[in-house]
Amino acid sequence: MTGERAITIRYMVVLGIFAAAIVAFTLHAIETPNQLGRPEFLTGYVMFGLMLGVALLNARKRLSMVPVGRAAYWLALHVLGGFLIIGLYFVHTQRIWPQGGFERAFAMLVYLVTASGIYGYVIQRFIPRRLTTSGIEIIYERIPAELARIRREAEEIALACTKEAGTDTLARHYLESLSWYFRRPRFFLGHVFALESGEHWVRFQVQTIERYLSEAERRHLAKLEALALYKDRIDFHFVGQSLLKYWLLVHVPLATALLAMMFWHIIVINVYAL
Amino acid sequence: MASVAFMARPQRWDAPFGPAMTDADVARLMTLPEIAAIKADNFPAHTPLADIVKNDTRLVRYEPGDIVVREGDYGNSAFLVISGKLRVVLAPDLPRATIGRQESRRKGFFEALAQVWTNRVMPEVRGAVRQTSQQVRAGDDLAGSRVVLQDVPAVLSRHKTAELGASALFGELAALGRVPRTATIFAEEPAELLEIRWQGLRELRKYDMGWRRLIDERYRENTLKVALRESSLFQGLSETELQEVADAVLFETYGGFDWNVSFKRMREQGSVAQEPVIAREGEYPDGVLMVRAGFARVAVKIGNGQRTLTYLGAGDLYGIDELWAARNGSEVSLQTSLSALGYVDVLRVPAPVLERFVFPKMQAPPRPLIEMAARPLSADAPMEWAVEQRFINGTKAMLIDLSLCVRCDDCVRACASTHGGNPRFIRHGRTFDHWMVTNACMHCADPVCMIGCPTGAIHRSIGSGTVVINDETCIGCGTCAGSCPYHNIRMVETRDGDGKLLRDPDSQRPIVKATKCDLCETSPGGPACVRACPHDALRRVDFRSESTFRSVR
Repeated sequence: MTGERAITIRYMVVLGIFAAAIVAFTLHAIETPNQLGRPEFLTGYVMFGLMLGVALLNARKRLSMVPVGRAAYWLALHVLGGFLIIGLYFVHTQRIWPQGGFERAFAMLVYLVTASGIYGYVIQRFIPRRLTTSGIEIIYERIPAELARIRREAEEIALACTKEAGTDTLARHYLESLSWYFRRPRFFLGHVFALESGEHWVRFQVQTIERYLSEAERRHLAKLEALALYKDRIDFHFVGQSLLKYWLLVHVPLATALLAMMFWHIIVINVYAL
Repeated sequence: MASVAFMARPQRWDAPFGPAMTDADVARLMTLPEIAAIKADNFPAHTPLADIVKNDTRLVRYEPGDIVVREGDYGNSAFLVISGKLRVVLAPDLPRATIGRQESRRKGFFEALAQVWTNRVMPEVRGAVRQTSQQVRAGDDLAGSRVVLQDVPAVLSRHKTAELGASALFGELAALGRVPRTATIFAEEPAELLEIRWQGLRELRKYDMGWRRLIDERYRENTLKVALRESSLFQGLSETELQEVADAVLFETYGGFDWNVSFKRMREQGSVAQEPVIAREGEYPDGVLMVRAGFARVAVKIGNGQRTLTYLGAGDLYGIDELWAARNGSEVSLQTSLSALGYVDVLRVPAPVLERFVFPKMQAPPRPLIEMAARPLSADAPMEWAVEQRFINGTKAMLIDLSLCVRCDDCVRACASTHGGNPRFIRHGRTFDHWMVTNACMHCADPVCMIGCPTGAIHRSIGSGTVVINDETCIGCGTCAGSCPYHNIRMVETRDGDGKLLRDPDSQRPIVKATKCDLCETSPGGPACVRACPHDALRRVDFRSESTFRSVR
């Protein structure tokens, strides 16, 4: 079974489970006489349970040594559970933007967690495909070392050119312009939006210096250009993999804060509203 | 200006099997009845008998209880008993723990869960007791270490054994046929053995009729008829007919037994390995070739290259399509070529034998190999790549779909938490299109890593066939890691309970152990890496299966 089909089937299965749960929950809510006359309690506690449920994905990641189901199913539960929570939130509050400072902060967190979750899911579906088109694969933690190696090689090319040709034209251009590029990952936004800014910049630099070089020096320039374009692909991986890693630094703390506020909300409601 | 460095051209015997062999040893060995009976004149000038004895053999001494070969081991050498007494265990088999194997026991749920708090902060922590197994007797060097039976009299009383004395030859079929050893043999008394590596054994078989007859007859007696009976080609033949086929079959070997060494070197240099041709497109077939061990590539010429149509493994047939067509009146030369992917052992069944015994009872072959050439080139690109990289050896290769993988390393962390804090693979490897075969043990069909392990610590698990390492009998010699052509075995430095690096008090060198993926053999639920991937990007695949290639097209 291909990956795409597996994902579709998995989500359909989880969706089916949720749909069945919603139907059962609705029937139960209709049938059960609510002595409090306050349906918010039911929706609130269901939402609380769901929130704890989706948060368990994080625990699943730490329990890889025991057979607690495939993480792929846990992720499907997490994603679809998240959508269910936002739906229940509207049913629970009956409005999009509530009144009161605490409620507004709570609503803000719900929206931010949902938005960051959707953002994370979407980039996880698109960025890997884009990364494969680069033609290279590199482990994120190895990127700094690889960039250092590229920079060393670039400097060696510039020095070899000076030594061989007896002129410092290329080395001077390297110091003035190219060294900036080789120093660290560049054109972050260009890579985010696939603008090919890095490639364009490299070609511009090559055109700028090419007219002043002899045939022998141009051979060194060609090597330098190939190296710069290779670095551009490494930069692309750096940006793509950074996006894939760091969105969680927004989503997880916000979700933790939301859970904390929810606990406080439940305490307050139980103490003052009952 | 580029300078030129000079060095002597590497020669076959630059690295002799037994570096300690002296001329006096060789002179003594040449007087052994089994060697003295060989006609030295039959050997070519570039491969004289005396040089074979000097460079392709070595003298090994065993103390009582020392295990010489273990059942299930892969080996590349045969043994000739010079003096002393050995015992071969017939029945029942020795317990696996007794011969230094790992007793694989799957953990229970709570035992596995306990790893959450029992895993150490520092990786590769071993208890000091576990460092040196009582079963291992140290040798002059690491490779000379061996596993020892603790109580030989008890073994002799509880197990049926047979005696092997001077002049006994054993291990030649496993060495030449690339098959596991079929029995465990240990020393009952101090014994001196002549160990002959496969290259020397091949030459002896090639140039001396006596050795050839001995080896071939043993093969015919022990395994040939079983192999023929298992082949669909010979179904329905009576015992007498099968015997006649067996008598006519020729044995052939192509490629090097140590293909992994040259392949590894060429892979690192980015060049393509040269493959010995077994049969060439356009030639006339004189018989059917049946692969007995190893892999062979079926290819057709296209443009200036060879296009891989498929590859053949143990039991597969080549040349039957053409011979069948010729029988039906059309004169057909070979439509495809066959070349060895590393080491291949083939049986050649002559055409007249087929004509007499097989074809009269046979249905038409289902689908000629050449029909595969009708597929578009792109459809076979993944297989072409897998063959070139020798991934076809993998039965449980870790394949990652990079278009789904979000590089979260959950698989790596899952592996680490299941294996005491250090992952058993690297999420990196060769890529093709959007697929990556990572540096994780592939549990090969031809496990070259298992050849040469002095204590048999690396072995196949009896239940699952998974290649595992017994940490207690691993002496850290690195033979397996050096042999693996895919760089999938890693030597790790071990630590004591306090997290301090363990060192040998004499040499001050770190105590290292070989580690690799064991498919979570002892964990409940199977490979943690597969279960941990939230995007279903990772799976374990059998590259010998057609369905694997269908799924990656």
